[in-house]
Amino acid sequence: MAALDTPQPSTLRHAFGNVLSLFILLLIGVLAFSIRLFSVIKYESVIHEFDPYFNYRVTQFLTKNGIYDFWNWFDDRTWYPLGRVIGGTVFPGLTLTAGTLWRILNTLNIPLSVETVCVFTAPIFSAFASWATYLLTKEVKGVGAGLTAAALLAMVPSYISRSVAGSYDNEAVAIFALIFTFYLYIKALNTGSLFYATLNAIAYFYMVCSWGGYTFIINLIPMHVLLCIVTGRYSSRLYIAYAPLVVLGTLLASLVPVVGFNAVMTSEHFASFLVFIIIHVVALVYYIKGILSPQMFKVAVTLVVSIGLIVCGAVLAVLIALVASSPTKGWSGRSLSLLDPTYASKYIPIIASVSEHQPPTWPSYFMDINVLAFLVPAGIIACFLPLSDASSFAVLYIATSVYFSGVMVRLMLVLAPAACIMSGIALSEAFGVFTRSIKFQLPGVSQNSPVNAGDTGTVIQNDVVKTEKSEDSLKERPSRKNKKKEKDKTERASVVRQIEKRLLVLPLEASVIAIFLLVLLGAFYVVHCVWAAAEAYSAPSIVLTSRSHDGLHVFDDFREAYGWLRHNTEVDDKVASWWDYGYQTTAMANRTVIVDNNTWNNTHIATVGTAMSSPEKAAWEIFNSLDVKYVLVVFGGLVGYPSDDINKFLWMVRIGGGVFPHIKEPDYLRDGQYRIDSQATPTMLNCLMYKLSYYRFVETDGKGFDRVRNTEIGKKYFKLTHFEEVFTTHHWMVRIFKLKPPKNRIRGKTKKAKSKTSSKRSGTPKKNPWH
Amino acid sequence: MAIFTTLTNANSAVPLILLLILNLLTPLASSLSSDSVVSELSALQSQSSTGVIHLTDPLLRRILSLPTPRPFHFLLFFDAQSLHSKAELSLPTLKSEFALVSSSFYTNNPDQKGLIFFFEIEFQESQSSFALFGVNSLPHIRLFPPSATDLKKDSIPMDASDFSRLAESMAEFIESRSRLSVGPVHRPPIVSKKQIAFIAIAILIWTPFFLKKLIAGNTVLHDKNIWMAGAIFVYFFSVSGAMFNIIRKMPMFLLDRNDPSKLVFFYQGSGMQLGAEGFAVGFLYTIVGLLLAFVTHVLIRVKNRTVQRVTMIIVLLVSFLAVKQVVFLDNWKTGYGIHAYWPSSWQ
Repeated sequence: MAALDTPQPSTLRHAFGNVLSLFILLLIGVLAFSIRLFSVIKYESVIHEFDPYFNYRVTQFLTKNGIYDFWNWFDDRTWYPLGRVIGGTVFPGLTLTAGTLWRILNTLNIPLSVETVCVFTAPIFSAFASWATYLLTKEVKGVGAGLTAAALLAMVPSYISRSVAGSYDNEAVAIFALIFTFYLYIKALNTGSLFYATLNAIAYFYMVCSWGGYTFIINLIPMHVLLCIVTGRYSSRLYIAYAPLVVLGTLLASLVPVVGFNAVMTSEHFASFLVFIIIHVVALVYYIKGILSPQMFKVAVTLVVSIGLIVCGAVLAVLIALVASSPTKGWSGRSLSLLDPTYASKYIPIIASVSEHQPPTWPSYFMDINVLAFLVPAGIIACFLPLSDASSFAVLYIATSVYFSGVMVRLMLVLAPAACIMSGIALSEAFGVFTRSIKFQLPGVSQNSPVNAGDTGTVIQNDVVKTEKSEDSLKERPSRKNKKKEKDKTERASVVRQIEKRLLVLPLEASVIAIFLLVLLGAFYVVHCVWAAAEAYSAPSIVLTSRSHDGLHVFDDFREAYGWLRHNTEVDDKVASWWDYGYQTTAMANRTVIVDNNTWNNTHIATVGTAMSSPEKAAWEIFNSLDVKYVLVVFGGLVGYPSDDINKFLWMVRIGGGVFPHIKEPDYLRDGQYRIDSQATPTMLNCLMYKLSYYRFVETDGKGFDRVRNTEIGKKYFKLTHFEEVFTTHHWMVRIFKLKPPKNRIRGKTKKAKSKTSSKRSGTPKKNPWH
Repeated sequence: MAIFTTLTNANSAVPLILLLILNLLTPLASSLSSDSVVSELSALQSQSSTGVIHLTDPLLRRILSLPTPRPFHFLLFFDAQSLHSKAELSLPTLKSEFALVSSSFYTNNPDQKGLIFFFEIEFQESQSSFALFGVNSLPHIRLFPPSATDLKKDSIPMDASDFSRLAESMAEFIESRSRLSVGPVHRPPIVSKKQIAFIAIAILIWTPFFLKKLIAGNTVLHDKNIWMAGAIFVYFFSVSGAMFNIIRKMPMFLLDRNDPSKLVFFYQGSGMQLGAEGFAVGFLYTIVGLLLAFVTHVLIRVKNRTVQRVTMIIVLLVSFLAVKQVVFLDNWKTGYGIHAYWPSSWQ
């Protein structure tokens, strides 16, 4: 890759430099891949968390049934009895990528399982992402900055957090797609080549397939185009880079089912169309300017400007009318909360309540981009000296992404590549200056020897050529011959500059100290990243470990429970649990669930929440009406696992109560406090969640001491009437209960009782939303 | 969210002109049919621009003298002019939001005008009524269903959560309790139509001049130093967590609980930060990069070696201390123990 873009491929020196940078890139790829393997080494090769399980299951389906079945897949294993159309509601990029990888490996007779491919997709794409970063930064500021930026991105903690081995989620491939799209845009902008512009549209298509964050691209690139136009940097290269992206990109984007007509209907995309019109108007102005004499042009300007204004005004009016006709002004809630940060907290509590959508505090920046936070301002300034089309894009990228990350902590992921690029530029410039200072002032080295013009020389030269090229951006692109001549000229000029630059040095000893400190800073970054990768971001959350005085404990209860379900229940049995565990149950136990992590139907979730918060009998009726056979609860009280169902229970009450008003949150709180000890309210002590969680719990230690809530439970001895315990895992973390069949319940009672219960059942329809 | 506070009894003489006018309007006959009261209320309501009726003691007495069930709901906003200056109660805001609900209701449901009335009552005029309702803290809004006989027991107070989202949540409260639908809340636009027209004309006139300048290439937009400063500022603003401060409305500093004379600028715990703290660290984040850029782009052009040397030493020292300070603060705030991994044979 690097070998193609050298200014002087003839000399051995440059060939060596290129081989070296290729080798460095290879090592960076290895670094990016291997730093993400901590999760496999410390735990095992396993899919992480919740959403990745869904992606894994979809990939399995894809590899088994092929792409057309995947496209038309209606999943009846989830959201029972509603089901879910998978093909039209997922971003298929990740799945298709992993499926293709698996297929290629299989045709090469490498028999890897689908799971293995899925586990390692994210690390592989991290390596790709760091190479894409190299390419992008090279376009902005040369090879040295590119290599530095790639090395920084390979281990930036923010990106590691989403792409460790096993974290099989959209963001893993999307960040690569994001950077690569930007690279192709800059490449098209720098070269004015339609080839790169077309590739850019295809890369954009891949991004649209992969992640909803593609709207960032389709707003950032128009912003940059507008910026170029406004600051008088319009050129035909800009037109070539932009126009095909809008036309082809929009057409391709609407091919993705989950986007579809949104690509032309929602406000997120309107900016690109508006800029598309503006760039045509501007292109026309420049064209007319080219064919007319200056006097004629002045006359024409008034004409064209007025016509252009009228056209723009008309289109704007249409757009405004379109936007104003929709209630949210055509913007989705999440986009709005980015533009007006206080929007979500005022109007959309469900968005505001998600922890990923919180605004970050300053330690988040230190945790996620670490020392890059210090280097970015230097990179920004370096981009302005001199300012080119490419570097102005980099500045725009960092400015927008840093603002967005300030609003939502989750968008730190988009900031990370920008921060790496900026820091790479800053570090590379600083190293350039300091090493030059040392090199030309070292005693015993002759100042005039040609060898001295070495590495830094090439980088500088490279820069100069680029700058000159971009400075005459207003000119048409010269023909190849002219270009060569011009190049010769610039090269001569660059030699002069080089001699000038040789004089621009800093004191020797201060430079040595500065380099030492910079290396120290880099070392600190490496230590931090390795620590973050190993300690903070590698836990799969499906297997838990804890270290105590008597060694390492492994809690593998989740898979134990799902395995039990898989082997001991009928294929068509329905399992009810809180939605967090829906994806895992369908993927690992292959059983039908009522609700899952794709929280598209609030009423359905509220039904399960209501059942969990109701007394046993009412809950039994709700579950029975949903054909549920088994109820699964997660309980951490025995081992002290804090994110269990009892701790999530208030959300079940709130969500349930939101739809079925007979569930009231105050009934579960004693004086506004959530407690499960003897002070707890009777509603709390009689609800299904409490009973299923603490059933027989007192038999473990005789007291019923809950190690998460640090208290003895309120009601210790009770029997279940409508449910029976069928399985409890080793550490009691997952407990599975079966609904008792109705006839067992009334056996042994008199006929009178029988008629009573039946009349009661029909007499209480209000409690059961499914009757 | 509004903070509740106890009402003070400090009051002054209140101009009672409105009260007097209302008294004059009041017919002297004490026994009144509900029709006459309703028609009188309707008249008062149409006089008010928002539909909110100023409630006086005699008027209240007459409303209460009606036999239950009364033909209408009424919603009462308890106001106190003397507390309008207390920012944390946000009484003026709530009052205007209350008026907004009222006007929206009457515009949306012109046929249901007699079914619900919106009242406001002033503390200094009607202290006895306040006592009658048992209201001793503000802000307070109460709904009286038609059947309410006992003012304290049968009426429904609005919870703090019901006016947390201002007019919208008040409307929801009314809908849930009285089964009367308020409909969409009509907020007056921030800029009036005249202003919009004026701005539009101004922009239209200004655009050609701007375009001319733009084509000539000499606007502020063409000065790259402004863009540079802007980009750096956005960066500083974001990494300092200013968005967090704005969204969460964090104060710049806190008073120390144990020792009120001391101020707390740094908050321990990574989930929260104070304003001053964020800006301090944001400054540290930014200064290092700025100094580095200064050295590589400006200092390098200085001819004098001694100046270069001294400046560089200072710059390096400041940068080193800044990084060290941030690392220290981060470890203190988050409590993470970041450590390296050495080969086990080294230990």
